[in-house]
Amino acid sequence: MLITDPILVSGWGRNFSSLSKRASVTSIEQAQELLAQTDNGRGLLPVGLHRSYGDSALNSGGTLVDLSVLNGIVVDPLARTATVGAGTTIRELESAALAHSLFPPIVPGTGFVTMGGAIAADIHGKSHHKTGSFSQCVNWMKVLLSSGEIVQLFPSDEEFWATVGGLGLTGVILELELNLREVRSNSADVNEVRVKDLSQMIELLGRSDADYEHTVAWIDLSGDYRGRGVVSLGNYGSEPVKVRGGGSTGPSLPSIGGANFITPLTVKAFNEIWFRKPLKRGTVALNKYMHPLDGVNNWNRIYGDAGFLQYQFVIDEGREEIFERLFAGLRSLKAASFLGVLKKFGAASSAPLSFPRPGWTLTLDYPTAVPGLEKFLQGFDEELVAAGGRIYLIKDSRVSHSLVPLMYPEINKWRAIRSTMDPAGLWQSDQARRLRLC
Amino acid sequence: MLNGFKNPGRVALIGGQSEIGLSIVTQLPEDKSREIILIGRSGNYVLDVTDKAARERVIGELFDAGDVDLVVIAVGLLGNDSKLSTTENLLAAIDVNFLSTVHLLELISDRMKLQAHGTILVISSFAQVRPRDDNFRYGSTKAGLDFYARGLASTLKGSGVTLKILRPGFVKSKMTEGMEIAPFAITVQECGKYGVAALKSRDLVTWAPSILKYVAFIFKSLPPSVFRKISHR
Repeated sequence: MLITDPILVSGWGRNFSSLSKRASVTSIEQAQELLAQTDNGRGLLPVGLHRSYGDSALNSGGTLVDLSVLNGIVVDPLARTATVGAGTTIRELESAALAHSLFPPIVPGTGFVTMGGAIAADIHGKSHHKTGSFSQCVNWMKVLLSSGEIVQLFPSDEEFWATVGGLGLTGVILELELNLREVRSNSADVNEVRVKDLSQMIELLGRSDADYEHTVAWIDLSGDYRGRGVVSLGNYGSEPVKVRGGGSTGPSLPSIGGANFITPLTVKAFNEIWFRKPLKRGTVALNKYMHPLDGVNNWNRIYGDAGFLQYQFVIDEGREEIFERLFAGLRSLKAASFLGVLKKFGAASSAPLSFPRPGWTLTLDYPTAVPGLEKFLQGFDEELVAAGGRIYLIKDSRVSHSLVPLMYPEINKWRAIRSTMDPAGLWQSDQARRLRLC
Repeated sequence: MLNGFKNPGRVALIGGQSEIGLSIVTQLPEDKSREIILIGRSGNYVLDVTDKAARERVIGELFDAGDVDLVVIAVGLLGNDSKLSTTENLLAAIDVNFLSTVHLLELISDRMKLQAHGTILVISSFAQVRPRDDNFRYGSTKAGLDFYARGLASTLKGSGVTLKILRPGFVKSKMTEGMEIAPFAITVQECGKYGVAALKSRDLVTWAPSILKYVAFIFKSLPPSVFRKISHR
């Protein structure tokens, strides 16, 4: 087992970093050995591909447990299930499943998410209104507890739901079985529609959920902030498409030095082009459709050395007026978002810390250097809580710890289950410390 | 922990009654969730900084309760208590400004190294630049502290822990009440701003005000005879 000296690690937002050791375990036995070796009080944290934006996968002074070697995939075409190791990525699972005309029913905007991470964040995708979040397709998972014991958890177990959305703080997810769905081809039938403002977008998204398996909208939050955009509606396709480059990812963003290229001017220009681009209508490759974020590797570098943050929240249907207040505030800050995404969620899972629940979810990216952004978001958080909304912890790096119990009212239930799974407090993260989660 | 804007969440001020210290911690970028822990003659932790065992206990308790992102050390004696003799004043100033503060820095940096993050801001003084007849005793205690802090800062490289030194000149505060106001004097509020700037600065040392960096250079360059004349204004 390789354990490095402390190295600097940052989240996908690159807005801060922390110093921790990294243990690359090559077997479950090694992971168990590691438990016995950890004694400096800073604990362990299982990590995947560091796609969480903030400090969820950071553990300063402690040790990160890299499980990427546990990447086995066994697809059972008859049962339409896959048994996968925690280090398996969504992309790898998709490829293996497609070989049997199967596909994971819930995939996020990037394929670079491990199975362990998908459970720890209870990720969601464009299909949430139909399928719910990732945990809904998981039949069981094996988890290594801090005692060294390995337990198999089922949806009937409360420990299962504490681990779902549990940010890696209940134990090391080792292996899981999930259901796959049948697909007729490796394609998606896509219909994109341009909308001129937020109300049109909300109306079209709401109306389309019944007919489409996948619905999402790109929203332009620059210029006049009226919320124009492009609504993307999709279903699994029947015509196979040839995937160029064998489905490899796009080009990498070259190193551009430490400068931030996301300014109100560049965002406005980009968004203008994006709004006017030819609309997709017809058959496209499933992986390209599912993972638009993977078009350019390391796209997070575009924000320069200061990094960026992603703000994602959910609000009940009927409380849409909060969007207007948000947009007005962002407009006055001249904070233009390069990536704005609106989606309507379906049913919630049973996990106390799972983010998705019925309502509208909006996602925004901002460079941390926007003057006044920190204070504005603090104020908006409070409005959001007052309106019954909450933010997505896996994206967070700045919310006040005092608001977390208001956003996640079942957190004490989670804490109680977690403490029975990890009485010694071995699993730790910077986010857990910052938000006083445990 | 720091938040995503790199601002501290849990902050401790040692010298909880220090006007400069309070001015620094209250001028940090606004964050309602920030916890500011005052340590001193009163506050969240009561500490007689000259008590070695108490220093060990309080710093232990402070870090046991959770990670600390920023510690501002703002304890100091000018050594001008009229009830004490010059020598007694000097010994008291050495105890607070040098011995106790250095011990606090040892204790705090050790705990911060374990958490692999954190920033310490220590308040030195312009007085440590060059001995002057009227304040070399006080200046020597700060010179010792400053020397030690620069050494410690160097050893902390790569540990995740950062140490910054603030070197104020004359600050118009209760501590300097009744004293003749020196050139380049600043208010407590202004000094606090320099302290906050020191935290974001890439430099180890921040002067308050900035011009003192050049004044210090001139002071050090002057021949002794000229320096003596100037310092005896």
